[in-house]
Amino acid sequence: MKTLTVSVYRFDPIIDNSGRLESYSVEVNDGARILHVLHNIHDYIDPTLSYRYCCGSGQCGSCAVRVNGEPVLACMEEAQDNMVIEPLKLAVTKDLVVDLTENLGAIASLIPKAEFVMPTKEQIDRIKPLRSCIECLCCVSVCPAMDVTKFFGPIAMRQEMRLSLDPRDANDRVSEAVEEGLFTCTSCQACWKVCPKDIEIPGKAIEKLRALANRKGLTLPRHQEVAALIQSTGRSVTRSEPTFLEQVGDVIEPNGQVKGIVGFFVGCMYNMRLPKTAFDAIEVLRRNGIRVVIPKEQVCCGSPLIRTGQLAFLDSLKRRNIDAFVIRGIDTVMTMCAGCGSTLKNDYRTPFVLKDISEILTTYGIEPPARLPIKATYHDPCHLLRGQGIRDQPRSLVKMVVDLVEMPSICCGSGGGVRSGNPDEAAALGNRRGEEIKKTGADIVISSCPFCEFHISEHTDRPVKNITTVLLEGYKEKDKVS
Amino acid sequence: MANSLVLCHLFMILYTPQNNKMHADDSLDYHVLVIGSGGAGVRAAIEASAYGDVILVSKTILGKGGCTPMAEGGYNAVLREQDSCGIHFEDTMKGGAYLNDTELVRILVAESPQRMDDLIRWGAVFDFTEANEVAQRPFGGQRFPRTCYAGDRTGHEIMTTLLERLESLSVDTLAETTVIDLLKEGDRVIGALAFDDSGEVVLIKADSTILATGGGTRVFDISTNSASGTGDGFASGYRAGAELIDMEMIQFHPTGAVYPTDARGRLVTEAVRGEGGILTNTLGERFMKQYDPERMELSTRDVVARAIATEILNGRGTENGGIYLDVTHLPRKQIETQLPVMLEQFLKFGVDIRKEPMEVGPTAHHVMGGLRISPWCQTTLLGLFACGEVAGGVHGANRLGGNALADTQVFGKRAGEAAGRSEKRIKKIDSKQIKIQEERFSRFYDGKVNPPIITKQLQKAMWDGAGIFRNATDLQATLAKVMQLSESNLRAISQRNLLECCTVQNMCLTASLICKSALLRPESRGAHVRTDVCLSHDAQHSPFSHTYVSRNRQGIERTAFV
Repeated sequence: MKTLTVSVYRFDPIIDNSGRLESYSVEVNDGARILHVLHNIHDYIDPTLSYRYCCGSGQCGSCAVRVNGEPVLACMEEAQDNMVIEPLKLAVTKDLVVDLTENLGAIASLIPKAEFVMPTKEQIDRIKPLRSCIECLCCVSVCPAMDVTKFFGPIAMRQEMRLSLDPRDANDRVSEAVEEGLFTCTSCQACWKVCPKDIEIPGKAIEKLRALANRKGLTLPRHQEVAALIQSTGRSVTRSEPTFLEQVGDVIEPNGQVKGIVGFFVGCMYNMRLPKTAFDAIEVLRRNGIRVVIPKEQVCCGSPLIRTGQLAFLDSLKRRNIDAFVIRGIDTVMTMCAGCGSTLKNDYRTPFVLKDISEILTTYGIEPPARLPIKATYHDPCHLLRGQGIRDQPRSLVKMVVDLVEMPSICCGSGGGVRSGNPDEAAALGNRRGEEIKKTGADIVISSCPFCEFHISEHTDRPVKNITTVLLEGYKEKDKVS
Repeated sequence: MANSLVLCHLFMILYTPQNNKMHADDSLDYHVLVIGSGGAGVRAAIEASAYGDVILVSKTILGKGGCTPMAEGGYNAVLREQDSCGIHFEDTMKGGAYLNDTELVRILVAESPQRMDDLIRWGAVFDFTEANEVAQRPFGGQRFPRTCYAGDRTGHEIMTTLLERLESLSVDTLAETTVIDLLKEGDRVIGALAFDDSGEVVLIKADSTILATGGGTRVFDISTNSASGTGDGFASGYRAGAELIDMEMIQFHPTGAVYPTDARGRLVTEAVRGEGGILTNTLGERFMKQYDPERMELSTRDVVARAIATEILNGRGTENGGIYLDVTHLPRKQIETQLPVMLEQFLKFGVDIRKEPMEVGPTAHHVMGGLRISPWCQTTLLGLFACGEVAGGVHGANRLGGNALADTQVFGKRAGEAAGRSEKRIKKIDSKQIKIQEERFSRFYDGKVNPPIITKQLQKAMWDGAGIFRNATDLQATLAKVMQLSESNLRAISQRNLLECCTVQNMCLTASLICKSALLRPESRGAHVRTDVCLSHDAQHSPFSHTYVSRNRQGIERTAFV
């Protein structure tokens, strides 16, 4: 037995104007789950506590709650001391019980064809990964797009994709999905990461539906323009100044001893829109013993095409990029754009290892910069945090140079083609980020993704800087002092 | 489209604790009322909707309660030429120690393939073979691998399919609304009285009522059942005057998780053994060779559960009170694709079943007994039908793994059809029944004991005194304890807590029926083991048939073998 202190959200619409957190001290068995803590409160302390549960084994999806902000199934996650238990981010009926009707009602049903068609094993095997959904609505609770625009949500998209794969179904699921907000998803992947059944909704449902929509000619015009640009120039943006690749050498030697060698995949944004940031990164790498090899024939990684379902000439881009590094015998390719990194790691099969710049810098270790007398907050790029699982490395770098104030890790709204395709939604999400930034009281915002940096800067009055830029400022300060 | 009714406003008027009055006139009126949203209930509602207005009332969110979504292993159906309904019939009868109602078994095996066909037509995603046929795996007590499956989430697959089908029909649904009691007009059931999620009363009249409330092994301390397995259907059926049979027949599933403490009893599917998992004790012995050398781990559940219990009682169990179930010799890929839920669940509890054995022990799983039904699911009460686990007779003294899901579909359909075909009539709720309930609720407001306190005592008493091994002395003592608990002065601290009081009373009543029936059967048969009785007959030649209990009579039927 052990004693845990937990905070639980309480709200009774009949007597309370707003919800509050109530603290409880409970004695539970070793290995107790969150649900058993709730049972304990209900059985011995306050029988009026309302919460849903049923199967107790992670299969019915009734008991989803947020614990320390993250949606989980109460029956499966082990209870921890000092945890905060709150309802999912949906309309609260009472305490931890939320209204599920609208979201469950938005899930489409199979409409049998007039003439039955038996599916094949191959079709069944393709449907199965999308079928284990237990409708717990954890995904809906974290979806940023649903907060600001009309979107039926990840759970509905999963089902539309499942139905579109089924020869027994009569309806046009792709057009339905487009109507239900297919193009509002920012591909932040929050839905996948909280899914208790690990259903890869962004990659296995949303991007696949977008690819099917593309075949039906339903791709958004703005996304088609981006694809046309990539096809004609190899790049997803136009140049506003001389590009990074035009200005930089083929191989950049470090100042001192060579500690490591990386190939540098620059990405369209840093190459053509933010070359100065890329040069800042080069400076930081030189100072820390990294030789950087930069193939000039590299092109767009294809991320804008994959996210928007335009796959026609994707393979030629992949080939060109892989060859560019292979021909130079490079084992480790470094990205500094979160989107490119995620794409190369997850959508490519490469004969070399991929590392984000924060991984390279923390692996080899860096010379400590001078501390700058400013307070900063860090914005997790979705494609770095969830796409690559990188959370601690950038923070450890940031903390070497400034004081860090945390804020919740939520999408800024720039990804998944939303900034170009649904600018109002992107702006609404950007404004929310602006509000969070304001709450932290930070002097600057640090991030590690050109899309996030560019987008957030439009929605906050604080300067938004790349992590390497801030490190370089720390070195300059250090050099000035000495 | 299925419509979920929003009742709050209507029923705030019907009943409030302040004036403590309900009005029999303000009620919903349907042709068919289905109680329960598991596999049997939803299947019944789908079928009944072809005949008139149907309302489906579910104590949980639709489809999330009951045991169907938790059913892991599979669905038995004769689909191949090498197999036959005759063999499925024999396997089921033999597994059930010949206590099964033969007519019900004939129907089960004959119609199960057709109901599988319905599911496939409605979009079910069962695993397929390379030849594009529904795949089948071996299960305990069956001479042919006839258990169809969707990985180890078969019941969930069936439930999802049924809900999608229901959604496309015009069936009204009331979720998180719990039936408290059946309503009667004379001898006929004419609907039910229920609480919505805030404890407001809902009255529903119906020409026919279908009980599809599932089982009740939550009355035992260690159980696989979801929170809804509290025996509500057995209890409300009994109170209304229906006869129940074979309530002593409780299936203890051989393999439930034994730790962590609070998650004891969680089902470890028979599919683990079906896929090749082996059982060993702490001496490393594959002990099933002593109990059933032929069928080994795939013997029937009663045999395997007793074997495991015996090993543990004789000191060959683990510290946590289990034995080992091992799949580490199987290819990783097979475990990952055929047993993904098991893999995921055990990983959450710190065990990687690809690398280390599971620790398991018996857990109360299924009630074979239940309301006595005809082949068309008619109970002994007019206007009341029953299907799924709440009905008795299909599985005899021991159910074969994979036959429960088939049961839900075969008899769910029959109940829906029979109820649908019943005559439309004008029904009048007797206000006396409402008054009795009102008085009951007021007593709860004045009560003293918090319901969960009673639940825990009940579960402990039943596990200790009416579990796998039974004798008359312990059963009588347990029955006395259960009766004492059922007299508890339960307290509802708020309107929402009234339901808990009613549920605890249902659990006590169900437990008392189990104890009474266990005392009525002076033989060991299937899952029912009386250590104080010496057997002089084999199951096939038993002088006894069904035990029966109702408000008017109780006893045990005799066969021709005396």
